[in-house]
Amino acid sequence: MLYRLWYYVRETFTSLWRNLSLTLAAILTVAISLSLVGSSLLIREGAARATAQFQEGVEFIVFMRADATVDQDAAIRTVLDTSPAIAGYAYVDKESAYVEFQQLFSDKPELVESVTAEVMPPSYRIVPANPDAGNVAEMARQFGEQPGVKEVATATDAIRQIEDFSNRVSQALLVAAVVLVGVSALLILNTVFTAIGARRQEIEVMKLVGATNWFIRIPFMLEGTIHGLIGAGLAVPALFIVDRRVLAYFQESDVVPLFRGFAVPDGFVWDTSIWLLVIGGVVGMIGSAVAVTRYMDV
Amino acid sequence: MIRLEGVSKVYKGDVVALRNANAEIQRGEFVFLVGPSGSGKSTFIRLLNREEVADQGRITVAGKDVGEMSSWKVPYLRRQIGYIFQDYKLLPKKTVFENVAFGLEVIGRPRHAVREQVPAILDLVGLSRKADRLPDELSGGEQQRVSIARAFVNRPLILLADEPTGNLDPGTSVGIMRLLDRINRSGTTVVMATHDRGIVDSMRRRVIELDRGVIKRDESQGVYE
Repeated sequence: MLYRLWYYVRETFTSLWRNLSLTLAAILTVAISLSLVGSSLLIREGAARATAQFQEGVEFIVFMRADATVDQDAAIRTVLDTSPAIAGYAYVDKESAYVEFQQLFSDKPELVESVTAEVMPPSYRIVPANPDAGNVAEMARQFGEQPGVKEVATATDAIRQIEDFSNRVSQALLVAAVVLVGVSALLILNTVFTAIGARRQEIEVMKLVGATNWFIRIPFMLEGTIHGLIGAGLAVPALFIVDRRVLAYFQESDVVPLFRGFAVPDGFVWDTSIWLLVIGGVVGMIGSAVAVTRYMDV
Repeated sequence: MIRLEGVSKVYKGDVVALRNANAEIQRGEFVFLVGPSGSGKSTFIRLLNREEVADQGRITVAGKDVGEMSSWKVPYLRRQIGYIFQDYKLLPKKTVFENVAFGLEVIGRPRHAVREQVPAILDLVGLSRKADRLPDELSGGEQQRVSIARAFVNRPLILLADEPTGNLDPGTSVGIMRLLDRINRSGTTVVMATHDRGIVDSMRRRVIELDRGVIKRDESQGVYE
């Protein structure tokens, strides 16, 4: 068994080495395309975190005082339930607010430890019937004057701009990435095809002496899978560079102050990296499997 | 060991390679297939190890119906069948030892079996002292011995040979035939397609003559014509 494993490894790496230029091309294409996939996911996540409280049409949020009375709360709720200007709302109680806070600041444990659910303000996330900026500002002002209300936060144009910007950028990256992933798969297919061609004689002999089809296929499929995995492996540091340099630049510069919330925790970058490795491996395996089944006729 | 019942094979363009062939070959027999080029000798051989599939009829090899066999079982059939060629089909970048070992490694034989069996078979074919040579450093006869070693190292039940002496001079051919005869006497069934009149006439073994895909003659201790 160990001997056979050694055989697969030896054959795979001999073939990788023999085919170096195509191998490098395939690996680099995988690395670039997966870096783009990862960047797209990071930007999407950053934007989602920066604008987390203003999703799904929520235009402003009424934060209640932590010590607001039941009557004060009921008064706000009555307005929300009856006013035709309100299309919908969601109530976020202390516990939910605390959970969300923990998620948003998961990479800053000292901050999370400094608060408890008790001090979190409950809030109403409000979807107005008319999302026009002037209208939203006027409604926010009115709610702000109600007793028991701590403050009202509106989704400003800037937040909408962040969402819009990040959507466009991440979508453009994703389209480019999908095209490049396709190109990588084709390159891997071609590389494996070339490797098969270089070993036609050996394959012929293997078939004649009774090697099983899988025994013949496995080194080639491993080769393609390794292209994908190494490419993905290169994309992982690229992803951290995007996180540390590009996203951090937005956060720290004063050029675009609203990007300050654009932080992605390391855990998310690692999770994304694992996905990139999975995608890389699968793309390599599919590319080589197609090459093997189409050109090897075993 | 081998049985053909009403076997026909037609290639594209209505080229008849074999028509209603019937033959039975017992364990341990030595059979020459003779006939002009295109008479169906190679097809006969290629049908036996499932490189080709018959259009009609039934082929049984070592008790298995070759035509009905599912394709994943074919490798296991081929492990019972050694196969040698006119052009040897050795791997040019591997040494004599490695070429023979390759035949065992790729069917998953353990390393210690390779270490024991390869030197033994090289001794049998008389190439012990050339184990580290590359094929292009050997004469044609020596290369064919390597290919016989590779075909026989797994001790198959059957040895198929397609014009094994086709590229060799008469003196060298005699040596190869002695080797095949010796392998046959150890109990291995040998089926050999050949054009070599001298060999067939001197060995006086069973001869099956093919003509345009039809078995014209089948006699024990026969001659070429």
